[in-house]
Amino acid sequence: MDKMRITLTVNGVARDLLTAPNRTLLQLLREDLKLTGTKHGCGEGDCGSCTVLMDGKPVNSCLVLAVQADGRSITTIEGLAEGPKLHPIQQAFVDKGAIQCGFCSPGMILSAKALLERKKRPNRDEIRQALSGNLCRCTGYQKIVDAVASAGRNQKPKGR
Amino acid sequence: MLLPKFEYQRPGDLGEALQVLDDLGEEAKPLAGGTDLLVNLKHGTISPRMLVDLAGLAELRGLASGKGRLSIGALTRVSEAAESRKLKGPLSVLAQGASKLGSPQVRNRATVGGNVCTARPAADLAPPLLVLGAEAVLAGPGGERRVPLPEFFMGPGQTSLQPGEILLRLEMDRPGAGSGGGYQKLGLRKALEISLVNAAAFISLGDDGRTIKKARVALGAVAPVPMRAPAAEKALLNKKAGPRAFALAAEAAADEARPISDHRGSAQYRREMVKVLVGRALDTAWQNARGK
Repeated sequence: MDKMRITLTVNGVARDLLTAPNRTLLQLLREDLKLTGTKHGCGEGDCGSCTVLMDGKPVNSCLVLAVQADGRSITTIEGLAEGPKLHPIQQAFVDKGAIQCGFCSPGMILSAKALLERKKRPNRDEIRQALSGNLCRCTGYQKIVDAVASAGRNQKPKGR
Repeated sequence: MLLPKFEYQRPGDLGEALQVLDDLGEEAKPLAGGTDLLVNLKHGTISPRMLVDLAGLAELRGLASGKGRLSIGALTRVSEAAESRKLKGPLSVLAQGASKLGSPQVRNRATVGGNVCTARPAADLAPPLLVLGAEAVLAGPGGERRVPLPEFFMGPGQTSLQPGEILLRLEMDRPGAGSGGGYQKLGLRKALEISLVNAAAFISLGDDGRTIKKARVALGAVAPVPMRAPAAEKALLNKKAGPRAFALAAEAAADEARPISDHRGSAQYRREMVKVLVGRALDTAWQNARGK
């Protein structure tokens, strides 16, 4: 099983990497790039804690082969804050108490980001739909929905 | 969860892909969205020597309509099917099924062809495709051939794909005006769920805007394969669309279903739910047919 060369953009930076084919994008991000914000939960696409944005769309990185990410643009949770300044969605999660253990949060925030990029002020049903692939064992979801709704309301016209 | 060892190839076109699949036979598995394949690899359910990534095959892409026919490439993402403008009106039953599959993340990777070829009895896209009268277009060492979808599903996880064959696309007639469809899914929760029961219905109304001239009903998760419900369809033909006809058809569908009891629910409960879901799917189909 020879290693293969792939080139992908991660959080705006082009990365040139060698990987065996039997590795997931999740493994590549966490182990090779040390971006451990993306979590391994169930490993089979059922919890969403491994959610990243691939070409702007939320995907379960545990079900994407690293080699399938060749030529694509990946956004992980690490790509949101600008230095010490949190992304507005991250800030909303903090402000609304939507983070308890934090394990689901990166996936939740990225799914929310994708939603708010295509829908200006989603209602609570739309938020729940968009986050339906992200499970939380701590919060009971209410404050997560509050946070996304709040971030939606406060979105600047050109939305970050 | 770790993946087992395998080799990986990404052919540049259909000819190359078919050559590899023919050469390697059972040792190779085609890779599309991977949302089912990777789970099976991680669980050790399958252990192919080679994955053949179909992503480079332009022949499998495209959602196009023309000459009264709709063609859906096997690599069409489920999320695209859920959102496409080309699946409005009576074709929306397919978009409805697509929108209920898995989760947003899964839909962004899963493909229409993948859902059809994994051929689970509870597949979300199967009942909609069945009621739209879809046929599968396959390619293999022997060339291209067409298989009506009811004949394509052979058993749980089994299709009539021969060694070395892949699904290219699904084709169907574009339904005319005055027709509509509906899809209903019942699960223990509203997302990230495999159907306990699902159902799709399609009706076509006559010039009076009321008499059912064409009817198709399909059920999932209540038989070894996604199935049409001919007795339900017969109960609808030439009747006036409305609650009475729909109730009789729903009863007939429940009788035709062949559910088993499993960890999701009992056979008896599934049978009851067929009745409920077919009734609702017909309601939606009727509203859809009247332009709603």
